[in-house]
Amino acid sequence: MAGGNEINANESKMAVPLNTWVLISNFKLAYNLLRRPDGTFDRHLAEFLDRKVPANVTPVNGIISFDVLIDRPNNLVARIYRPAPATAAGSIPIFTDLYQPPSYDTFPVIIFFHGGSFAHSSSNSAIYDSLCRRFVSLCDAVVISVNYRRAPEYKYPCAYDDGWAVLKWASAEPWLRSGKEGKLRVFLAGDSSGGNIAHHVAVRAAESGIEIAGNILLNSMFGGNRRTESEQRLDGKYFVTIQDRDWYWKAFLPEGADRDHPACNPFGPNGVRLEGLPFPKSLVIVAGLDLVQDWQLAYAEGLKTAGHFVKVVYREQATIGFYLLPNTNHFYEVMEEIKEFVRFNL
Amino acid sequence: MKREHQEAAAGGDRRGGGGGNWYAAAEQEKGKALMGTDDGVDELLAALGYKVRSSDMADVAQKLEQLEMAMGSSAAANDDALLAHLAFDTVHYNPSDLSNWVDNILSELNAPPPLPQPPPPPPADDPLSLQFDLPPAVTEQYTIGTVDLPDGSPCKPADVDELQPEASTASSGWLISQSGHQPEVAKSLRDRKRLKVCSSPPSSTITADAATAAAAQQVVIVDSQEAGIRLVHALMACAEAVQKENLKAAGAIVKQISVLAASQGGAMRKVAGYFAEALARRIYRPQPPRGMGCSSTVESAALDDMLHHHFYESCPYLKFAHFTANQAILEAFAGFRRVHVVDFGMRQGLQWPALLQALALRQGGPPSFRLTGIGPPQPDNSDALQEVGWKLAQLAKTIRVDFRYRGFVAASLADLDPYMLLGPEADGGGVEDDEPEVVAVNSILELHRLLARPGALEKVLGTIRAVRPVIVTVVEQEANHNGRAFLDRFTEALHYYSTMFDSLEGGASPPAAVEVGGHDQAMAEIYLGRQIYNVVACEGAERTERHETLPQWRARMSRTGFDSVPIGSNAFKQASMLLALFSGGEGYRVEENDGCLTLGWHTRPLIATSAWRAAGDPLSTSASCRTASS
Repeated sequence: MAGGNEINANESKMAVPLNTWVLISNFKLAYNLLRRPDGTFDRHLAEFLDRKVPANVTPVNGIISFDVLIDRPNNLVARIYRPAPATAAGSIPIFTDLYQPPSYDTFPVIIFFHGGSFAHSSSNSAIYDSLCRRFVSLCDAVVISVNYRRAPEYKYPCAYDDGWAVLKWASAEPWLRSGKEGKLRVFLAGDSSGGNIAHHVAVRAAESGIEIAGNILLNSMFGGNRRTESEQRLDGKYFVTIQDRDWYWKAFLPEGADRDHPACNPFGPNGVRLEGLPFPKSLVIVAGLDLVQDWQLAYAEGLKTAGHFVKVVYREQATIGFYLLPNTNHFYEVMEEIKEFVRFNL
Repeated sequence: MKREHQEAAAGGDRRGGGGGNWYAAAEQEKGKALMGTDDGVDELLAALGYKVRSSDMADVAQKLEQLEMAMGSSAAANDDALLAHLAFDTVHYNPSDLSNWVDNILSELNAPPPLPQPPPPPPADDPLSLQFDLPPAVTEQYTIGTVDLPDGSPCKPADVDELQPEASTASSGWLISQSGHQPEVAKSLRDRKRLKVCSSPPSSTITADAATAAAAQQVVIVDSQEAGIRLVHALMACAEAVQKENLKAAGAIVKQISVLAASQGGAMRKVAGYFAEALARRIYRPQPPRGMGCSSTVESAALDDMLHHHFYESCPYLKFAHFTANQAILEAFAGFRRVHVVDFGMRQGLQWPALLQALALRQGGPPSFRLTGIGPPQPDNSDALQEVGWKLAQLAKTIRVDFRYRGFVAASLADLDPYMLLGPEADGGGVEDDEPEVVAVNSILELHRLLARPGALEKVLGTIRAVRPVIVTVVEQEANHNGRAFLDRFTEALHYYSTMFDSLEGGASPPAAVEVGGHDQAMAEIYLGRQIYNVVACEGAERTERHETLPQWRARMSRTGFDSVPIGSNAFKQASMLLALFSGGEGYRVEENDGCLTLGWHTRPLIATSAWRAAGDPLSTSASCRTASS
């Protein structure tokens, strides 16, 4: 639809601040160059274009970060963010400081899965480094950002396996435990594909007896074979198309699978029943201009039907990526919701 | 100075309750977000790695829209060729400079697409044939292989044809060569792009950030086990005692360290060993400092070269350095018939066979190539510099590249003067005296040494400028080992070399050379160990391993009147692909950093390549424009 593109640009431009529009349009352009019609992905160009930041044990706004090699054979790295340890002013924290609990009181540990539709970004991508630092100050949390293996080189279930590996690692770290009972108070969080990963890791945790305090899903990535009303109505209008969603699912899901695969459609015909499982409480944040919203709302309904607590935060005028730049009410109000959810369920 | 924002004051507490401080700060941030900053760059995007002037925002948005419409309509028209061209053939530079990045893609869109060309004939029995070919879709304009430097003693030119390069056991470099069908239009387009990118205003704001950016301290923890942490703790405690000049306490701790280290395995044990030894030397050192690592002697020069060679073989850092520097040099030399490379650290000339090969296969034929190699004084009056030149001459003869070589012995690069580097040939005294000779200056891990003597670096940079090179390639360790406080240097070095040693364990050479690989690794560890001794145990003029970070080097180069020449996605891609050849290579990462490329282990960059030209030099500028007009 040649003429349609011009209208679309104007609509999306009116929905977000100009610098947000430039940021997300830049990603859209870059991502269009990376996805090949034959299903392969230009990984080298993707890594070239991605803006990355180093970890830093020098406190910045009172927060430090460092990378940990969790699993050598898979090169699984996670980036840990935490409030700067109380060392002598001006000196750099030493290794032992890094592994001290950040406080005597209970504190949350948030295991974060970055977005990118299973194919893009890394734990050291600038957009996610920024977001994770914000979570630390927002919730006085230790945040662990998982550098999971990505599609199409690594399909389902690699990303879930990596998430599970980090959860298990965290469960074994003494310094992440807090409170009278000395236990790990862990939240699983993620945006886009990261939200999807958070769900599936939570299922595995529930089946294995690891207690998760809460799930935080931001514009999470779900789907199914049928075309929902929101997908049809919003196709191509706010940075995202059905076509690109299809491409990413095809890249992530096993060969020959369709979008009713349980990874994509957890409450669809092939889903796993969650009744009776100790599944965590969920905070599901939905952007009203995200074409995936019908799937996200269906997901929330599915949890409710299975007897689990869900709070849906619906931001009518928000687009994808609203949480990347602190320049709208959507950003600040959703951060408050997250903060309250964590505080309440700690 | 930042403007005040009324929004911040009016913000207040919407919800009351806890976190008021955070909320007020957030409101202030929001105010900043809406108003931009005085130095013009949008702060919020800058925090995410994109430099866009607030005043350019609408313009960038409009270009993005243009692109979207063009790509949208081509998708509708099923014009796969256009999309493929944009995706595959476009060389991208410096994605942080968003405005120029978008411009580049737009200009690719508007330029005629490259004419389909027949693939080059496969080089069948050529002894220097490419041993590693990539499928056409990913080669862009270069194919990759390895090339061996002829071994053995210098022989008479008549014997050259009898050389059997495959039988040599000499080192192999990563080869770059043009496949020979890059259209002239696209190439001149690329040169214009790179020129434009160099002179774009936002890059000048880098210098302001350099000082703060330099403070980032990276830690990759590969061993979070209890014993490893205690070992590190002991090392740090010892270093702290040394800083406080409590040598008695330091001595006591250093003894404990060797006990702790013995219980460790692998990389951590070795690293701890070197650092403990270095601390011991510092604690118990004779005055003046003597012994391995401190004063570099004539005797140690040959040993240095040998260890350097093993380091080269055992891990990809130096190969990456040579490859990316050669890429920048090759692009800068495009269109010139007489070229001259000045190598600040000639050693065994490992970098140059690949460049010679690439020049030999250049479209339009190879240029006349002159090489000036600088090296330190050697023992036994042996003339290692000349021998290397001889070997390269033999190689050049086999591949029919007109080659001239001159070696210069210099104890320090600061002893060089421009006239030495330029020489009589530069006046065009040769046959092609209507052709200007262009110069590339290449420095691999050499500049940081100059920081040991005040004024030395400034002199060398002045010499470089006086030579008026079209390109200056600089490779340096990506670390700050030159901080004023001993403890800071120690900590930085501990993190850096721990990661380095871990990569040697994890990314061992291909299994085919298992025996040699093991030997290479051991020698590489000694090579690195000497650096550790120098950083930790030496001071003053003897402490030559004064590594500094990319932001620090950028600031220096910029201050001295050099502009960055961005290294593009083609070099990035090929370097990444070559890394896959190293078994255990999955841990290695190439990253793009504001026009420079770094190679690191996991998320920690360890070595950085940057390219420069003299700012506002009409010769440099016209050099890059030359291909556009010819």
